[in-house]
Amino acid sequence: MDYLDYVQMTKGQRFIYKLKSFFIGIPKAIANFFKAIGLFIKKFFVGIGNFFKNYGSRFAKGDAGTKLSYIIMGAGNMLHGQIIKGLIFLAAEVGYIIFMITFGAHYISRIYTSQLVLLDSKPDTYTGFYKFGTGAVGKEVAIVQKTIHGESVTNAATADDSNKILLFFILTVIVTVAFIALYIANTKSAYATQQIRAEGKKPMNFVEELKTFLDDRFHITLLTLPVLLLIVFNVLPIIFTICMAFTNYDEDHQSPIKLYQWVGFKNFADVFYADAKKSSTFGLILVWTLIWAFFATFSNYIVGIIVALMINKKGIKFKAFWRTMFVLTAAVPQFVTLLVMRLLLDDKSGAINSALGTSFPFLTEWANVTVIIVNMWIGIPYTMLITSGLLMNIPEDLYESARIDGANAFQQFTKITFPYIFFVTTPYLITTFVGNINNFNVIFFLTGGGPEDPTKYSNGAGKTDLLVTWLYKLTVDKSNFKLAAVIGILVFIICAVGSLITFNMSKASKNEEEFS
Amino acid sequence: MASKSKKAVALLLTAMTAATALAGCGGSESSGPSISVAQSSFELEVIDFKSDETVKYIKDTMAAEAKDGRIVLKVWTSGDDKSFEESRLEEFKKLFADSRYEIKIGTSEKGEDKAGSAVLENPKKAADVFSFADDQLSSLAKAGAIASVAPYYEGNVRQENTDDSLGVSTIGTDLMAFPKTSDNGYFLYYDKRVFTDESVLDNMDEMIKVANAAGKNVYLNLGGPWYSTGFFFTAGCEIKYENGKQTAKIANEKGLSAAKAMCHIAENQDKGFKGAPGAIGDNAYVAQGFDEGFLAAAVIGTWCGPAIKTSIGKDNVGAAKLPKVLMDGEYKQLESFGGYKLLGVSVYSEYPFSAQTLAYFLANEDSQLERYNVRGLLPTNKKLAEDATIKTDPAFKALEDQKPFAHAQGESVGTVYWGSGIGDVGGKAVDQKGSRTDAELMEQLQGVEANMKA
Amino acid sequence: MNNTKAAKNSEMQTGYAAKRRLTNIIVYVILTVMVLIWIFPIVWLILQSFNTVDRISSRMLPEGFTLDHYKTLFTDDNVPYGKWILNTFIVAVLSCVISTLFILMVSYTLSRLRFKSRKKLLNIGLILGMFPGFMSMAATYSIMEIFHLEGQLLALVIVYSAGAGLGYQVAKGFFDTIPRSLDEAARIDGATSNRIFWVIILPLSKPIIVYTALTTFLGPWADYIFVSYFMKDSTDNYTVAVGLYKLLDNEHINRYFTTFCAGAVLIAIPITILFVVMQRFYVAGVTGGAVKG
Repeated sequence: MDYLDYVQMTKGQRFIYKLKSFFIGIPKAIANFFKAIGLFIKKFFVGIGNFFKNYGSRFAKGDAGTKLSYIIMGAGNMLHGQIIKGLIFLAAEVGYIIFMITFGAHYISRIYTSQLVLLDSKPDTYTGFYKFGTGAVGKEVAIVQKTIHGESVTNAATADDSNKILLFFILTVIVTVAFIALYIANTKSAYATQQIRAEGKKPMNFVEELKTFLDDRFHITLLTLPVLLLIVFNVLPIIFTICMAFTNYDEDHQSPIKLYQWVGFKNFADVFYADAKKSSTFGLILVWTLIWAFFATFSNYIVGIIVALMINKKGIKFKAFWRTMFVLTAAVPQFVTLLVMRLLLDDKSGAINSALGTSFPFLTEWANVTVIIVNMWIGIPYTMLITSGLLMNIPEDLYESARIDGANAFQQFTKITFPYIFFVTTPYLITTFVGNINNFNVIFFLTGGGPEDPTKYSNGAGKTDLLVTWLYKLTVDKSNFKLAAVIGILVFIICAVGSLITFNMSKASKNEEEFS
Repeated sequence: MASKSKKAVALLLTAMTAATALAGCGGSESSGPSISVAQSSFELEVIDFKSDETVKYIKDTMAAEAKDGRIVLKVWTSGDDKSFEESRLEEFKKLFADSRYEIKIGTSEKGEDKAGSAVLENPKKAADVFSFADDQLSSLAKAGAIASVAPYYEGNVRQENTDDSLGVSTIGTDLMAFPKTSDNGYFLYYDKRVFTDESVLDNMDEMIKVANAAGKNVYLNLGGPWYSTGFFFTAGCEIKYENGKQTAKIANEKGLSAAKAMCHIAENQDKGFKGAPGAIGDNAYVAQGFDEGFLAAAVIGTWCGPAIKTSIGKDNVGAAKLPKVLMDGEYKQLESFGGYKLLGVSVYSEYPFSAQTLAYFLANEDSQLERYNVRGLLPTNKKLAEDATIKTDPAFKALEDQKPFAHAQGESVGTVYWGSGIGDVGGKAVDQKGSRTDAELMEQLQGVEANMKA
Repeated sequence: MNNTKAAKNSEMQTGYAAKRRLTNIIVYVILTVMVLIWIFPIVWLILQSFNTVDRISSRMLPEGFTLDHYKTLFTDDNVPYGKWILNTFIVAVLSCVISTLFILMVSYTLSRLRFKSRKKLLNIGLILGMFPGFMSMAATYSIMEIFHLEGQLLALVIVYSAGAGLGYQVAKGFFDTIPRSLDEAARIDGATSNRIFWVIILPLSKPIIVYTALTTFLGPWADYIFVSYFMKDSTDNYTVAVGLYKLLDNEHINRYFTTFCAGAVLIAIPITILFVVMQRFYVAGVTGGAVKG
């Protein structure tokens, strides 16, 4: 279809056209996704190549100062007249070396070898403590000993800790990466000042340079603190957790009684094929997670739109009242309403079954249906709020022309209202879908993942467990950190692939939109 | 005091052996845990908190252990017991008050059923002293999160408590915990106004009939594995937990008999019988049931005693052993779990000796007597078990009568058992009001048994 | 001829009006039924909070009327409700201030400043956001242990605000809509990026500031997972959500169920008022961000 055909269409037709192209685009989007991955890998290696090329060429073209700064950081800046900046670079280098000697090297050397074993199965006489000693490789386990009544007492609390070793190892790696970046910046800066000198100009002094942080480099000023916190309390834990997936860290491997160790891909193998029970559990939960995400998203969405339409219908009075009634339920904290629902719906002791004199198994046999319905109770007010606003945006003349064409209310909805809202809220739908894959509250508070069925599920999982609630149970109830980490990684992959594909698709249809 | 110094010398020798062994290990590449420290060979002594000398000795040790003049301990106890245990902690502080240090003890609520898993979730953050149900001992010991009873108190603990309670506190030959109460088992509480004829109490079917006639129900949580396992014991199934291995032979004729016996009772669901509490749990359901009047009898433990008493009046509460149930055409005595609540000391305590002292203090005769007087919880102390008032306590009597039919949890079941879905056998029976075919039951039993092997 | 047509027309009109009235009645009925369903659990909760028994009742209606449970909230040592509220309030205010600032800083930067690694940062942000929130909970706890922050309110503030940098999408969507010509005009007048941020953009961003502050302030009031994991048995530092949730434990539900209801009602009142008043900001925030895509 070319541009002329497109502009000749009515608005309604355009929506349908876009909708159609959206779905037709799905296979293409998937193909594009893999193409994009390939492209990314290519770009990555080309980038590395360029990096070394530039690194080398700067050295070749550099003067003595620039060359010196390849070994002594900041030398170039200092020789070219930027004393303070040079000193800062130098301080960073010295600081890094000290950091590595006193801290980093220690943990890097321990990352693969640390081991601790029980020396003696008989506990210490006074305290009941076990004694610890070093195992096959370790040489320097810190056991603090105290003397009580002439006897030395070992305090296990001060002994070795796998978590600490792994965590500080990762921290050392992060610091090293940051240092390398700074080192590269140092060579670039040295070369840049050399060029400025060559042009016969004077490089910026320190105060001038500081001023750039309020203007040209304002982004650094604004981002430093948030990014730093993000790295320490978000990125570092994520890397840490990813590492856990490759260890045997679980209930039976808690430091310092038993340190955990690397096991390679064993945990992944368990989830996929090696352990039949685990892999079938994972499969069942994955399927239910997707079913749940689909129904939870679209049931809320469609019914929410209908409610919004009803409230906004011409001739309906007390619009604000109806809206407030629904919003009320969205405002009460979810854990309260969900716990109340759980107590009300219980088949043995719930008030609803008691009042009706029945014992309908809402939360056992029918749990999977119940959670989706209760989720509508939770979610519809939100959809209603959002779509109410959108409904007012739809141009009135669209409806007018449709009415003249003899379209009834239902046709108006399917031909105009729904396509409009659907198109505008596609990104919202994608985020909601991904959000529902990770929707913890409804399942956790309502059923706790139950009813449990150990004949089909392993590790405490139940029929309504989502991957994330299972992950939570594994962490908190089962202390099975290795498996939790594996599940976390898999959830990430599912969400990432899913949203990248849909994101590409909606981008593709956005491009079409540029016609109009 | 003389004997104490001898003991100290023996200890010093042990410590020296250990130190040499440690030195020998350093650097050697292949050795693993090759060193064994000579076991201290002194006899276990019995100490007495009422002796000034002992108290002084303990205070000296605690003073050596104190950091910056402070001893900070944390105790986990169930919510119901919290205020009572706090009063005991005050007594402890009074007894060992000293100018060289200050004792600070914080308490947190942690139910005995969950304490074990809470410790394992993060052993380093566990309370110094925690109260837990005996079946969790093996996993705590396996993870090395619990310190064994210090030899300094071991003699006392061994001498003062009943053999059964010491048995469940022992792993191998090591005494790993301090026995605290003996009532972690269940029996029958009933409303005397409904069951006027006591002979009925011996037969489940009769009880259900009487209750139904009064428009009330008998409660037995068939859906809860802790309660329903009694049926499998009754049928003679082999259920054992040894050396970390779970054996449970239930997918056979005997297991089927047990399941069918449950189905037989479950036929009366809502008609004189209630077989599952739903989301609110046993305790809340029983309290609700007696208060609102839809329960006339319940299989539950002492922890629900106070609530039942306030609901129907102290004088109307009766207690008895479990009734007989119909199995394979004859009435057989329903068996059960009997258990203990224990006190454990965390391996990670920063004040290990003080923690051991506190644990012993909370488990000794005085504390157990007070605990019975205030909370109605039954002792493990031998002397108290012979005490006249305790002996005639209906709950104590009921538990004693049930004892020949009660199985120790720690010896029968491990964690894998609870997670096997065995509770669903009774749970399904209740949901379907007993109408299940033998084939269905067998299939379920096979599934459950397979889970135990995982 | 004309007349009959007119008559027919008016007949159609009245038929149309009748039909419309009928559909309106149907809509009223449906809405009424739905609203009843929607507010039923909340009404039940309120009624139970006045019930005379302490335990959970299997009856739909309360057995009597009392205000005792509201009194219990402030007198019973086992239910330090005031302390919970105070804790939550401290955490909510601190994390609201820090998070709002962080979100504004990050989203402004990513929306309006152009620099080399911008695209890369956007992508990294997108990727980090796809890890399930509490996947790294145990790891974060280990980090808190190293700083000796576990069991302290500060740990919660950090957890809530450290991730704030990732919540830039909605605010970025808003900033994207402010015309760039404003910046350019200011730049010609010699204003730095710093000045433009504070003097020109922030005053225009009132709706998004309110939205961000509102959502970050409300978060801690309803969060159970992180608080329970990070506070464990530090009962002194419990927030309302965890404190109330613990009242439904096996060992508490008998004595404190109706107290739980009273506590839940009390906490819901201010949150509901806040939410109802601020809902237009919420809608603006969500659609502003989501619709842009």
